[in-house]
Amino acid sequence: MLVLSRQRDESIIINDNVVVTIVDIRGDKVRLGIEAPQEVPVHRREVYEAIQRENRRAAQLAPQDTEALRRESKG
Amino acid sequence: MLSRMMRIDTVRFGCVDVRTQDVIVFPLGIPGLENCRRWVLLTPPDGSTVHWLQCVDQPETALAVVNPRHFLPTYQARMSRRELDCLELRTADETRVLVTVNRTERGLALNLKAPLVINRNRRLGRQMISNSDLPVQYLLEENVAEARRKTA
Repeated sequence: MLVLSRQRDESIIINDNVVVTIVDIRGDKVRLGIEAPQEVPVHRREVYEAIQRENRRAAQLAPQDTEALRRESKG
Repeated sequence: MLSRMMRIDTVRFGCVDVRTQDVIVFPLGIPGLENCRRWVLLTPPDGSTVHWLQCVDQPETALAVVNPRHFLPTYQARMSRRELDCLELRTADETRVLVTVNRTERGLALNLKAPLVINRNRRLGRQMISNSDLPVQYLLEENVAEARRKTA
């Protein structure tokens, strides 16, 4: 992994179109500002991974698993 | 316009004929299913609330999806304008919001955190990850039953 030291208000540039700026540093919390083209998704990693896991599992669902919802909609 | 039909192979529903114009493209794929870009929304004939987003290119890949407002009439998810822009949405009418259904040890759950937003006219879709503090697994039985008790 490439490791760079930066101070507040300094940035790094990735590929010529993604800029990550250190906006604020408070204790062990760092606030980052990210400028990227709209087609480049930017997410908190743990949230993104939770969504990936959820989608992979959801794609295993069988129609009979949703029976309860069908009853729900008729009731 | 002459609509061309295409036949897609599915594990759950056998061979299904759909109109080529009904294909919805998710240009980024869906997180965890990144290779699945072309999908069709299959609507059950029985008027059920559950629809299936079937991957055109992988017969085994399909997601059960529902309109979250059917269960949570006040559902709202804040999303970044930046991410919505690529769907080229102009009106509320052409916007369709669906959430996936999953099975958990405690019953069925909806992913309220990451709604699938579709532009019905442009046939473009993207799974948004909302900025709102919403659960990835919203347990239906516990929560909806609870909500009904409160309003009853």
